[in-house]
Amino acid sequence: MEGLAIRASRPSVFYSLPGLGGDSQRRRPSSDGFLKLPAENRKIIANSASFHPISAVNVSAQASLTADFPALSETSLEERRINGKEKAENIVWHESSICRCDRQQLLQQKGCVIWITGLSGSGKSTVACALSKALFERGKLTYTLDGDNVRHGLNRDLTFKTEDRTENIRRIGEVAKLFADVGVICIASLISPYRRDRDACRSLLPEGDFVEVFMDVPLHVCESRDPKGLYKLARAGKIKGFTGIDDPYEAPLNCEVVLKHTGDEDSCSPRQMAENIISYLQNKGYLEG
Amino acid sequence: MSTVGNSTNIFWQESPIGKAERQKLLNQRGCVVWITGLSGSGKSTLACSLSRELNNRGKLSYILDGDNLRHGLNKDLGFKAEDRVENIRRVGEVAKLFADAGLICIASLISPYRKDRDACREMMQDSSFIEVYMNMSLQLCEARDPKGLYKLARAGKIKGFTGIDDPYESPLNCEIELKEKEGECPSPVAMAEEVISYLEDKGFLQNE
Repeated sequence: MEGLAIRASRPSVFYSLPGLGGDSQRRRPSSDGFLKLPAENRKIIANSASFHPISAVNVSAQASLTADFPALSETSLEERRINGKEKAENIVWHESSICRCDRQQLLQQKGCVIWITGLSGSGKSTVACALSKALFERGKLTYTLDGDNVRHGLNRDLTFKTEDRTENIRRIGEVAKLFADVGVICIASLISPYRRDRDACRSLLPEGDFVEVFMDVPLHVCESRDPKGLYKLARAGKIKGFTGIDDPYEAPLNCEVVLKHTGDEDSCSPRQMAENIISYLQNKGYLEG
Repeated sequence: MSTVGNSTNIFWQESPIGKAERQKLLNQRGCVVWITGLSGSGKSTLACSLSRELNNRGKLSYILDGDNLRHGLNKDLGFKAEDRVENIRRVGEVAKLFADAGLICIASLISPYRKDRDACREMMQDSSFIEVYMNMSLQLCEARDPKGLYKLARAGKIKGFTGIDDPYESPLNCEIELKEKEGECPSPVAMAEEVISYLEDKGFLQNE
């Protein structure tokens, strides 16, 4: 486990388009993105924001690790003695570059992950595009991780076997976490059908920084769209294990935003849906430094 | 016809907001600064100094280092030869994503094999892979030995340690080489300034 993120119960903001509606109890945003000490080092407190500990070196294996430069100040040594014993020869301190808050200040936004989940054809990529465009128009930096794009690069070694699908999502979660740490609003747009896998990604991030958006669109609507012709192939038995046809989709039980299909195309536009997500981000303070 | 496998169901997604727009927003050009060298050569120190100096100039950068990644994205990898290759490959792919996002991505890893570093270079287009070689002598690195790993390696307690019983293949054609001058290592700030001059000359610190 990295950091001290603690999951509390989350009220979801429910948007039944058009407009806002439903239960919209707000949460207070979590603390600003200050440096998080790894859980095992939490007794060691940096006396200055400019130092942070590197995780323990595993001396049984060669490490391509950081911290070539020890910079063991007197104060940091003292801190370790306060804990009763020298905590580690293994932990090497070095002066931090800049912290998350510096980047937030530069970008005038807070990094987070917008995780858009739903059936194929539910409109995930469409909303992701609209969202990144709308945020750009507000001067905000986003980056979209799309299951398909990532499978051509980072995840090109993975297939569609069950364990590889889990690994696909895990890696995307880890990369999204890095983007959020940079201060980028990272939009991840992928079916991600299993609750367990999505929840695992949620647990990587500090409380509040994982914004799950559920594209609540009925199967028959997705299938009637069939933008890539995959439902047709799946119905013909030419694709096995296709989500919604012969593989389950587990809807979120407690996500931050639900975008429910109402059948009214005018009020259900991608732009409208993007604006609803933006309202959420604004209320939670992610659109300021 | 089973299509459980790669490729055929994968489509490229077009997005209206691309690298050009992000670079305009950030007023910089995304790139990868890949710092390579022996353990103890000063890679992390340079990476920190560089990101600080860039931040002072209002430029957005982020450090990817072996340690951060091995506890997250690469936590499933060990230190077998194939895992080391995969470690570097994944770092390269993530660095590419960061550069595409418009960031100046600073990757700081020993990355001892030319083939692996060159593979990362190949992932990037348009000369935005900047290889920085920390050409510090083994003697200097070992004298520093910031993590005590050279000592352990010499005692035979670590096997396959770069520089002791595993090779370091120095770059043949890197963009920047930083080395000792008259037996003295330049300061981190001086070295950072050298990298920044290069980035400036090549137009990475503005958007054109």
